[in-house]
Amino acid sequence: MIVVDRLVKTFPAKGKAAAVRAVDGVSLTADDGAITGILGPNGAGKTTLLRMLATLIEPDSGTATINGHDVVAAREAVRREIGVLSDARGLYPRLTARENIAYFAALHGVPDALRDRRIDELLHTLNLTALADRRAQGFSQGEKMKVAIARALIHDPQVVMLDEPTNGLDIMSVRALREQLRALRAAGKCLVFSSHVMQEVAALCDRIHIIGKGHVVASGTTAELVAQAGAASLEEAFVALLGSGEGLAA
Amino acid sequence: MLSRIAAVARKELLDASRDRRTLLVALVSAAAAGPIFLMLIFNLIASQAEKSHDIKLPVIGAERAPALIDYLKRQQVTITAAPADFEKQIRGGDLDIVMTIDDGYADAVADGRPGIVRLTYDRSRDRAGATIAEVEDLLRTYNRQWGGERLMMRGLAPSVAAPVEVRGVNVATPRQSGALILFMIAYYGLFASVIGSLSFALEAAAGERERMSLEPLLMTPATPLEIAVGKWLAIATFNLLVVCVTLTGFYLTLAFAPLPPVGVPFLFSAFDALRFVLILLPMIALMPAVLLFLGSRGRSIREAQANTSLLFFVVSIIPMIQQFTQRKEPPWILDVPVSAQYTLLNRVLRGEPLHFMDLLQSYAAPLVLTAVALFAIARLWSRESTLAGKT
Repeated sequence: MIVVDRLVKTFPAKGKAAAVRAVDGVSLTADDGAITGILGPNGAGKTTLLRMLATLIEPDSGTATINGHDVVAAREAVRREIGVLSDARGLYPRLTARENIAYFAALHGVPDALRDRRIDELLHTLNLTALADRRAQGFSQGEKMKVAIARALIHDPQVVMLDEPTNGLDIMSVRALREQLRALRAAGKCLVFSSHVMQEVAALCDRIHIIGKGHVVASGTTAELVAQAGAASLEEAFVALLGSGEGLAA
Repeated sequence: MLSRIAAVARKELLDASRDRRTLLVALVSAAAAGPIFLMLIFNLIASQAEKSHDIKLPVIGAERAPALIDYLKRQQVTITAAPADFEKQIRGGDLDIVMTIDDGYADAVADGRPGIVRLTYDRSRDRAGATIAEVEDLLRTYNRQWGGERLMMRGLAPSVAAPVEVRGVNVATPRQSGALILFMIAYYGLFASVIGSLSFALEAAAGERERMSLEPLLMTPATPLEIAVGKWLAIATFNLLVVCVTLTGFYLTLAFAPLPPVGVPFLFSAFDALRFVLILLPMIALMPAVLLFLGSRGRSIREAQANTSLLFFVVSIIPMIQQFTQRKEPPWILDVPVSAQYTLLNRVLRGEPLHFMDLLQSYAAPLVLTAVALFAIARLWSRESTLAGKT
C-alpha cells in the first residue's frame, strides 16, 4: 500500500534555467491487490514521483509511506518492500540474463536456493527461458525489458512500480506481462503502472491518477474519469481533463 | 552489509573476467613490460660498450693525411669512405660522426701551421655521444704524440708541454645504466598500479551511468557506500594482480633471460619483488578509488577518460622530478603519495633496508585518501543530479 500526502519536489535553478517544481503537492493512494495507473504527459513529474517513492531522492515537503514505512525515515525498509522498473533499465551486457537477475537477488539478500527457483519461474513466465544463459549484449529492446522486469521482481516485492513497462515489447510479451501483473494482483500485491498507452492502462488498471504539471488532476476508475470529463474514451478524457486541468487540481 | 559488498565485488570480477580483450591487453602488456624495457636498456648499454672498441669512422680526404689514418687504424678504428649526403644522414641519426681532412692539410702541416681536421656530428644524440668522445680523444692523443715528437727533435722533453697528465677512470657507464634500469623498474612498477585498474574502474563507474544501470542498482537495499566499496575491492584485487604480473616479468627477465654481460650492479630477487608489492600496496588501493571517483563524475566512459588525464600527468611526472632533481629527500616525503612509494622502491633497489615504520608512514595518506574517495563516490551517487544526468 502506498500513501502519498502533499509531496513536493523542486529542482533548484541552474544558470539561466529557472527552478522547476517537478512535483507540486501530489496526494494519492495505491491499494494492495490492485493495479494503480499513473497517467501524465511528458514532464508531468511521474519519474520524479517514482524516484521519491523509490527513496532515490528526498522530497522537499509532504510525506510518502510504503506499507507504513516512510520513504525518508525508513529508507532501508522501503527498499526491501519495493520492486521498481524505472526509466533507467540498463543491463550488464557481459552478464547472462540469469546472472543479471541473480546479481539483484544477491543485493536483496534472497537465499541461494530460493533465488534459482524464482529466476527459473520468472524466466518461464516472461518467456525468456531460451535466452537464460546468453549474454545480454545481443538482446533486443524487448528482451532487455523483460530481463529488467524479472530483475525488479526477483525478491518478490510487496509493492511493484513499473514505468512504461510495455515500451518495446511485442504483442505476445505484452500479453504475458499483463498476465503476470494480474497474477501479482491476485496475490495481493500493490502495483503501480505508468504508461502512455491508453488502452493498456484502461485494460489493466483498477484506479487511475492523471498527473499534469506536478499535480494530480483527476483520479478514479476508467469509467469514472470518462464520465467526469464527459468524454467517449479514456484518451479523450485524458486530454479534456489536462486541458482544463488547473481548476481540478487537488 | 558484508554480503552485499561481496555480491558487488563478485559481480564486478565476473564482469571484468568476461571482458576478454581488455583483460588480455592489461595482463599481456603488464607481463611484457619487464622483458621489453630491460632488453631495450641492455641493448643500449651493450651497443655503447661495443662502440669504444669498434669505431667506424667515415673519412673525407683520407689520402691527404696518410699518417693520421695509419694511426687511427692502429687504434682499431675502421676507416670508411663517407657518403656524399653525410650531413643529412647525421641529422637523421643514421651516422654518428664524419671526419673531413681539409684540402690544405698537407701544406699546412709541412709549413708548421696546424692542419685542420673537421668533425661533423650531432651532439644532441645520446647514442652518438660515446663515439664522438672516443674520436676526439684519439685525435687529441695523436696531436699530443706528434707535438711531443717535434719537441724532442728540438731537444725538449714532451712533458714540458704537458705539465698535467689527466687519467680518467671511467666507471660512469655501468653505474649510470644501472641507475637507468633501477629507475625503469621503480617507475614502471608504480605506473602499473595506475594503469592496471584504469579500464575496469571507468567501466565500473562511468559505465553504470552510460548503460543506465546505476539507478536500478541504487534502488536495491545496497547503499551507495556498499556499492562503492564492493566495486573498489574488485578493482583493487585486479590491480594487485596486474602489479604482481608486471613485477614477475621484471624478476624473471633479470633472473633468467640471457642478457648481454654489462655488469648490472644490483640483484632483483624474488624477495625484492615481494617488498615492491608491500611498498606499492597503498597505491594499489588508492588508484582504483581515485579512478572510480573520477569515473563516477563522468556521464560516459569517454567523458570519464578525460577526467583521468590530470591524474596520469601527476603520477608520471612526480618520479621524473625526483629522479632528475636528485636532492636528498626530506623526511616528509614519505607522507606524500606517489613520492613516498617511489622513494621506498628506490631504497630497495639500492639495497638499503626497508624499515617497518617508514612503510607504515607511507601507508597513512593513501589509505585516508582511499576512504575519502569512497565516501565521495557514495555522496555523488546519492545526489539527484547524478541520476538526472542521463546521456
